[in-house]
This record gives sequence, C-alpha cells and structure tokens, in this order.
Amino acid sequence: MSTAGAPPLEAAGLHKRYGDRVAVEAIDLTIGPGEVVGLLGPNGAGKTTTVKMLLGLVRPDAGEARLFGLDAADPRSRRDVGYLPETFAQPEWATGVQVLASHARLVGLPSADRDATIDRVLHTVGLAGRGGDRVGGYSKGMRQRLGLAVALIGEPGLVVLDEPTSAMDPIGRREVRDVVRGLAAAGTAVLLNSHLLAEVEAVCDRIVVMHRGRVLADRAVASLPTGGEVRITADRLGPEHLAVMEGHGVLGHHDQRTAVVALDDGDALPEMVAALVGAGAALRGVVPLQSSLEELFVRLVDDDDLAAGRRPVPGGGGT
Amino acid sequence: MTVFTDALREAASRRILAVGVIVSVLFIGLFWLAYAMGFSSLSGELDNPQDRVIGATIMTVLGLYAVQFLAAFLAILLSTGAVAAEIDSGRALAVLARPVSRRSWLAQRAAAFAGLAVVYVVVMTASVLAIANGIGGFAAIDPVRAIGLLVLEVVLLAVLGVALSTRLSAIAAGVVVVVGYGLAWLAGIIEFVAATLGNEGLERVGIGISLVLPSDALWRGASFYLQSPVVMLAGGVELPFASLEPPSPWLIAWSLGYLLVLALLAVRTLDRRDL
Repeated sequence: MSTAGAPPLEAAGLHKRYGDRVAVEAIDLTIGPGEVVGLLGPNGAGKTTTVKMLLGLVRPDAGEARLFGLDAADPRSRRDVGYLPETFAQPEWATGVQVLASHARLVGLPSADRDATIDRVLHTVGLAGRGGDRVGGYSKGMRQRLGLAVALIGEPGLVVLDEPTSAMDPIGRREVRDVVRGLAAAGTAVLLNSHLLAEVEAVCDRIVVMHRGRVLADRAVASLPTGGEVRITADRLGPEHLAVMEGHGVLGHHDQRTAVVALDDGDALPEMVAALVGAGAALRGVVPLQSSLEELFVRLVDDDDLAAGRRPVPGGGGT
Repeated sequence: MTVFTDALREAASRRILAVGVIVSVLFIGLFWLAYAMGFSSLSGELDNPQDRVIGATIMTVLGLYAVQFLAAFLAILLSTGAVAAEIDSGRALAVLARPVSRRSWLAQRAAAFAGLAVVYVVVMTASVLAIANGIGGFAAIDPVRAIGLLVLEVVLLAVLGVALSTRLSAIAAGVVVVVGYGLAWLAGIIEFVAATLGNEGLERVGIGISLVLPSDALWRGASFYLQSPVVMLAGGVELPFASLEPPSPWLIAWSLGYLLVLALLAVRTLDRRDL
C-alpha cells in the first residue's frame, strides 16, 4: 500500500497550536531507511506533540506528515510502523504474550508466524521467560521493555520510540541501544525521542534539536565537533605542561596530577596531547567531561532563550 | 475484531462485571424465592384467579424493573470509560498507532460493551419470565417485543456513555449519564402522576423531559408487553413504574434516531480530537 521509494517518514510545515500557545511550528523532517534520528529538546519543546503528529495521533493545524508516502492520518500508512509511546501503558489484566498477540493481529501478522515472532521480540527486549506473566505484575522497566517489544512486532520499517529508556536501569539502556543499532543495521528507520543526550549521541546518525516548538538544529552526529572540556591526568603536571594546556584552551581546576582544560577547538585535542607528551608529561588519562552534543544542545537552547528574552544575559545583571 | 475481543477481555477482567454476575445470580435466586413465597401466599389468600394473575403480574413487573435498572447501570459503568480511560492511560496510543481507524476502534469497543449489556438484559429478563411462568404460570403479552425494547434501552445508554467518553473523562461521562437516567426516571413518574391527576400540561412536561433521554420511556414501553393479557383485558393495574399503553412508534423512531445521532457525534468527536 505504501508508495514505492517514499521515505519511511517525511513531514513538511507541521504546525500545532493549543489555544494561544504554539506547541509546534513549521517542522520539516525526513527520515530515510536505516537512518536513526534523535529528537532532542527540553521539557515542553514540542517533541511528543511532533511525534504524535507524525503518527496521525494529533491533527496538525497546518502542514502534513507522510508515512511511507501515505498521509499519516490514513490508518494504512501505519501498517509498517512500530511505536513506543512515552506513556507505555498496557492492559494490567493481560499477559505480555497476550498484549503482543493482540498487536500481532492488529498488524496482520499471519497466525502461523505469531508465536515465533512473539518469542523473538520478547527475547530481543530481555523479557524471555516472562511473557506469560500478567502486565500488572511487571515492574516499570519491564513494562517499558514490553512496550518496546510491541513496537518491534511485525518487523516494521519505521520505529518511533518516545523516551524508550525512561524507566530502565543502565543495563536496560544499553540493551535498548543495541536494539536500535540492530534495527538500523536491518534497514529500519528509527526516530528516537529522548532526554538522554549520551543515548542519542551513541546511536543516532542525525539529531534534531527542538525548543519552544521549533527546530533549532538538524545535523549529522558525525559532523559535530569533538572535544569540549577534558580532564588530563599525569604522573606529574609541571608549569611547562600547564603552559601547553593554556595554549590550547582555558585551564580550569588543576593540581600536580590533574588538570581540567576547556579546549578552544575540540578537534585540537590530539595536538595538545602530543604536545604534552613532547613536553615530557607521563599521561595516565584524557577524559572528555562534556559531550559535544551536550555543549551544542545547551548552547542552542540558551541562545534561543536569550534571543527570546526568556533568560537573563550571563553577567548582564538582568532581573 | 481484535479490538472487540480485547474489549470483551478487558470487561471480563474488571471487577464490575464479576460483581454484576454475583449480584445477578443472587438476584435471580432471591426473586425465585420471593416469587414462590409470594405466589403461594396469593394462592392461599385470593380465590379469584384474575386477582392471582394481577398479583403475579405486579411481582413480575417489579422483578423486571429491577433487572432493567441493573442492566442500565451495567451499560453505563462499562461504557463511560470506553474511550476516555483508554486515552488518558495511554493504552489507546499504541493501538491507534496501528493500521486501525479511530472509528473502527470506537465501533468495536462500543459493540463489545453494549453487547455485554444486551446479553445481560436478555438473559436476566428471560430468567425472570421463566421463573414467573414456572411458578405462577405467568405469560406476558409479548416477551420478544419487550426484550427488544429493553435491548434498545441498554444500547442507547451504552452508546450515550461511549459518546460522552469521547469528550469527557470517564467519571464525568458516568455522572452525566447517571443524572440523565435519573431525570428520565423522574420524567416517567411525572407522566404517571400527571395522568393520574388528569393534568395534561404536567404530562407534556414529563414527555418533554423523557425525550432528552428516552431510557425510562423505553422501559415503560417494554413494561406494557411484560404484563399479562388477562390483566390488560380487565383494564390493567396502574403501577407508577409501568405503562398500560403500548409504546408509540414515534418513541421507537425517536430512540433509533437518537442512537444514530449519538453514534455519529461520537465518531466525529473522536476523529477530531488529539490523542
């Protein structure tokens, strides 16, 4: 039913207003097969509204969203889509297998394939052996894993994950990252809405930063500058080593064994390390303290707030 | 049909249905006991067979009045959370992100909950009539038409609950339907009192209110067919909760139109709302 060659997801000029408040403004977004796109933004940025508009769950006031070439409001467009909502509620009375079987029927999975598919997705999300338990007895993390399994049923061509690890422990988060990588490797497009920048940076090909309903940035993760703040640890840091660091950035806290440097240019880190070694430093560690994505995110949001007069200019004595 | 069967399972998992079944079994048991004792007492005290039939009619109609009351509340309690509770909890999101249209989802859920209420009212009415027939040889004028009208009543209440649930929270929708049901009952009493007093103006007020929600009017229509033809031929017995007149075709038409409009409004509201 999908239009041949159409991208899994494309949106143009999506706009949504609730009363006087603009929730989403002029969102354009396209996701190709096998592409993993991270949707970032502070609370209230309009991410979840955007995701829901992309899936036809919220009606846009203007613009259009298409899934595999079909209008997202058309139920047929969602034939090949898996979705984990932010509120991943499932019927308390049902077992995990019953929930998955219900979704398998909804996506039209042949009955002969259902049991094997359900076993596979339960295994993928780490719920193998727990599918027969009632959802009411699941922990929050297990319910989220079940929600992820629901999204994976039917091997969809597009998977939309809204805060997929919010209830998970670090091991669960790592497993979700592996699942997302596996989906991308299999050619599935993934839209990942998350607050966790490290998670997004680790698995996404592209990030879209939203704030106050608008897209502030849409760029490839590979194009982000590396670097930022780094902590240097050595057997001994003398004045000559501190001078090298000051030559590459702003020297922060330091003592005889460690120093924190905010690099002027993140890409100059190898050069600084080579210079330190050349100056006789016996380096024990070079640890980035802040990801480049985090820097970008904070800068974009802060700049947008400053431009909108929502935050006092640092040192500006604003009220 | 996945949504339909899931809705049935969901209803079965809710305490309301289990409690409803227990209460109903108890009710049928008590009705059987009371009817047997009452009929035995009537047989001993009344020599005139027509008086005994009148007594049996009153007991049967009373029992069926309680049945329609239970069925109405079952329909209300099942239906008013049909949409709102699913959307508020987020359970609807995962399902409606599937290739399922909103109207299909709504229709399947409404059919499941209304269907349960229909099965309930049919089984309970048939049970009460069977007990009355078995113990007292009671035969109603037209049980099939009566059950048809009771079915229309519970379907109407269920669809009203579902329709309100597309816009209001489950609790708010429940309160509105219960208040409407109460008003409809009051309208029926007003009509009865007005007819007894011969006050046409007051009777028109009662009819006007009952058009807002024709649940009680449908019950009164059903109650006509649930009485004994022997009693009716003798002029009938005036009861405040039953009617001596058959339902007007206009009432049936109004109720069906009401149902259709409610269903269309529900579809339109859900189609337009954000989830």
